[in-house]
Amino acid sequence: MSYPVDPNATPMPAAATSAPQTETAETVETVEIIETVGAAPQVSATPGSRDAAYWAKQSAHLKVSAAPGNQVNNVDGRSAVGPLQGFGKMWQKTYRLRLVGCSATPAEVIAAWKENFPKFWPRGNRFYVPLTGIAPGEVAMLTVRPGGMPLSTGVLVLYADDESFTLMTPQGHMFAGWITFSAYRKDDVTIAQAQVLMRANDPIYEVGLRLGGHHAEDKFWKQTLRAVGAHFNVTDEPVESENLCVDPRLRWSYAGNIVHNAAIRTTLLGPTRWFRKA
Amino acid sequence: MPTRTFEAHVRQHLPRVAVIDLQGEINSFAEASLSAAYAEAEQHNPQAILLNFSQVEYINSTGIALIVTLLAKARKSHIRLLTCGLSEHYVEIFNITRLADFMSVYPDESTALAARAQEAEA
Repeated sequence: MSYPVDPNATPMPAAATSAPQTETAETVETVEIIETVGAAPQVSATPGSRDAAYWAKQSAHLKVSAAPGNQVNNVDGRSAVGPLQGFGKMWQKTYRLRLVGCSATPAEVIAAWKENFPKFWPRGNRFYVPLTGIAPGEVAMLTVRPGGMPLSTGVLVLYADDESFTLMTPQGHMFAGWITFSAYRKDDVTIAQAQVLMRANDPIYEVGLRLGGHHAEDKFWKQTLRAVGAHFNVTDEPVESENLCVDPRLRWSYAGNIVHNAAIRTTLLGPTRWFRKA
Repeated sequence: MPTRTFEAHVRQHLPRVAVIDLQGEINSFAEASLSAAYAEAEQHNPQAILLNFSQVEYINSTGIALIVTLLAKARKSHIRLLTCGLSEHYVEIFNITRLADFMSVYPDESTALAARAQEAEA
């Protein structure tokens, strides 16, 4: 253990703004992709902590065992980054779906969510499930298409228990932060929730988020939640969302994150994968 | 499984240092109590707020996210957020989540307050 850890960062004045909204159900489009790659999980095992097995173990750099389908690997050697290490405004985005009429417990919902995680993603996006599934310490690769452009990146499974799991992004990802998927009971109804705590990783991503990226992300997670609902035969409930700006300040000291930008790397290195394949 | 057993109590310690004693489990059910305690501590117009985790039994990822939002609030108000009493396990979690990049982490309250007093003198 090392004490003290003395931070050295810039102030973050903020003014919180809230924009709750609901929307009507739309057609759910999902794809069935289950690919298994990756290394064995690293699980923290500090004695005496009953939640130790739920957390990923500390590791300086992320590592996936293989880049599936010759995808550009923008994950190996990167560090995981939280919402404090990004560049843009800090947002907390919450998406909830009430599973009305569904008898599944929160644990059953989360078990199904972990098992079918790639299936619940919107069409055109791919999540490569590690061999041992959504487990603490696993590093998964993924390919998404913000604005139609392919972007290869990944996530670390930071935390996973029976009723929630959290993914943490690596350097170069669109945003620095965490996504927590959870389920809980309220008023005798099980509620499935995705909560994102994030800031754009670099100035390019921040511009992208402002020019439609936030809207696209909202759509992404709403579709995902509707797919979760459809799995439990809940198709008529709206997905509620709430976007809260936790910190409106840009963190210029992190503008240099741009050197890891996975969108740029995927675009530049993408064509070379065909040569590597050959 | 998350439970609702969480309490937070505010103490004024050194001049301009407020201590929040955290007790129980920090998960989604802790949000209201934690926010209320922070707001109470802020009313003392402190230069630093010390989060005392020595009675905390459990923190899940939602609890860590709550601490991040506290940190954002503190930095907005130019208040330093310090921590003490974290178990070795949670010190590791603070390192993994990189919260430790932004919060001073001390083994116990007296060490934290002594360090804060030294800073104030300097």
